[in-house]
Amino acid sequence: MPAISVERLSKVFHDKKRGEFRAVDSISFEAGRGEIFGLLGPNGAGKTTTLRLLATLLKPTSGTATLNGCDIVREPEKVRGSIGFLTGDMGLYARLTPREILQFFGAFHGMNGARLKSRVDEMIETFGISSFAGTRTDKLSTGMKQKTAIARTALHDPPILILDEPTSGLDVPTARTIETYILEQRAAGKCIVLSTHVMEEAEYLCDRIAVIGDGKLKMVGSMEELRAATGKHRLREIFLDLLDMK
Amino acid sequence: MRLPMIAAVYRKEMMDLLRDRRTLISMVAIPVLVMPLLMVVMTKVMSNVQERSEEESKTMAIAARVKTPAVLEAIRKAGYKMVDKSDLRAAVEQKEISVAVEETTGPKNILELNVIEDESNPASSFVAAKIRAALAALKEVRIRASLQRSGVPESVLSPFEVKQVNVAPARRMAGKIWGSILGYLILLMMFSGGMYPVIDMTAGEKERKTLEPFLSTPIGRGEIVAGKILAAITAIFTTAVLTLSSMVFSLKSFTTGQAAKELSVVPLDAGAVALIMLTVLPLAVFAASLMIAIAMFARSFKEGQSYLTPLILIVIFPAFLGGMPGLKLTTALYLIPIFNASQVIRTILMGEVTMLPFLVTLFANLVYAGIAAYIARTRFEDESVLFRT
Ligand SMILES: Nc1ncnc2c1ncn2[C@@H]1O[C@H](COP(=O)(O)OP(=O)(O)OP(=O)(O)O)[C@@H](O)[C@H]1O
Ligand SMILES: [Mg+2]
Repeated sequence: MPAISVERLSKVFHDKKRGEFRAVDSISFEAGRGEIFGLLGPNGAGKTTTLRLLATLLKPTSGTATLNGCDIVREPEKVRGSIGFLTGDMGLYARLTPREILQFFGAFHGMNGARLKSRVDEMIETFGISSFAGTRTDKLSTGMKQKTAIARTALHDPPILILDEPTSGLDVPTARTIETYILEQRAAGKCIVLSTHVMEEAEYLCDRIAVIGDGKLKMVGSMEELRAATGKHRLREIFLDLLDMK
Repeated sequence: MRLPMIAAVYRKEMMDLLRDRRTLISMVAIPVLVMPLLMVVMTKVMSNVQERSEEESKTMAIAARVKTPAVLEAIRKAGYKMVDKSDLRAAVEQKEISVAVEETTGPKNILELNVIEDESNPASSFVAAKIRAALAALKEVRIRASLQRSGVPESVLSPFEVKQVNVAPARRMAGKIWGSILGYLILLMMFSGGMYPVIDMTAGEKERKTLEPFLSTPIGRGEIVAGKILAAITAIFTTAVLTLSSMVFSLKSFTTGQAAKELSVVPLDAGAVALIMLTVLPLAVFAASLMIAIAMFARSFKEGQSYLTPLILIVIFPAFLGGMPGLKLTTALYLIPIFNASQVIRTILMGEVTMLPFLVTLFANLVYAGIAAYIARTRFEDESVLFRT
């Protein structure tokens, strides 16, 4: 069974201005263990909405998905236990320190005592957080915050990582730290779903890419498969080509 | 619901709250600093008004349209400058003079002395009181003289004396005064003390985008709400205890006068404290849950504030009514939340609490607390509330 299996997933928002609005329109895909799966799409394509559906923060209008064998509609709490979700805007508690945030999120995942403490130390080590682990996060730079946010996402060692634009707004060295970690996690057999609109990143990181536009899945496949299907070489060309497709 | 999870949420909320300047100011600084300050300023202002009206009265003249010489003499002796005015009432009203005395003849040819004053003007009231006292003294002298002339002994004036012997212990007396304000204050603080912390942990979390990662952990929504309610209750009780202690301390230290002396004895023993706690606890859960449910709708701290401020105004009313002395109640009225508690707190403080109203209040408020907590929980499951744009 694949780590993630999405079946005709749809989300309709009821908006005052736009009326019924289909942000995610019958999307299906699968992602396996040891795979990095990328959602590539322009602004407003429905990437964040799709990831929120997978993280059970939104309920689908129709369709469903199973993560690690658990259904997002019927067993949301079990699903949340097996994912690490990085939101687009990090969402760190400004008045707490990275260490405190990690400790609390460990507790929220049912960890405690010596195991929690050693795991927190390990994450602080891995992401090079030690020098600012005791500083309130509102005093940290964007890069320091993002490292803390990723450490929080990976803390409980979940089999599935859901990352919404994990490197957006970061300088190249910090982005590299995070990319390296993502690649290590793939090697460790994790399933990683990430969203991005950076072509190079998608090309460099992702084993398979799903191109999304207006809530619809235009095409899924590896770089080779996308090239073969479109007859274009560069991802940028492929991407624009697919978005024009009706 | 798992206790360790609720405890973890509670610890997170408390740590976050205790590092927030706004919360600390509303929870600690205001009760500890503002209360004593308020008392000092109030006593100062009150004694100032007294002094100033006395000063001012000395500079103002009075008028008397009086024919009886003895009366005129008594008024003169009060020591104010006398002037003539054609329209006495208008002159007092326009503050040309502080007080006027006008002699008229009432039914049965009885001499009437009208002391015309402006009660809205402290100086006028002050002089009027002095003039009335002078006239009363003259009346007494006259009665005694008449009695002497007709050979009646003076003792007929007071065949007996009436004295007040108060057996109400000081505690009851203080209870009566405290009862009318304390219930009101405690209930007000349930809401005002919880307001900032609640907004911070609901609309504040949304505004700072921390809610989404928090909700993507396997914690149950009920556990999150329970932890937040407990944190809000902690803030509420901290505010209440600090405000009351600071109030009593200020009354003892900075004020003078009989009322202040009586108030500084708080009629609380262990039993009364326990009963009040029992009355207030379900109400604190109710207040916290209700505010959480409402503030969750807001997208920002500011918006949350504009939702909860009117709520406090609505709450003040039944709390105030319940504190009014002399209210007779049917049992059904004890079903009204907030009102019932302020009524029960009053009777507890006076040592007159009875079983039925107490139990009805306790039970009714437990039910309301449960309903409000349930609604608060549903707010954390409603995505249109969580992701309101
Ligand atoms: N809670 C909501 N209510 C109504 N409409 C929403 C809501 N959340 C998202 N949308 C709409 O759904 C569409 C998809 O939004 P989404 O955030 O998923 O896009 P995205 O692909 O993540 O875009 P970006 O690259 O800008 O992050 C947008 O048009 C957005 O306005
Ligand atoms: Mg997005």
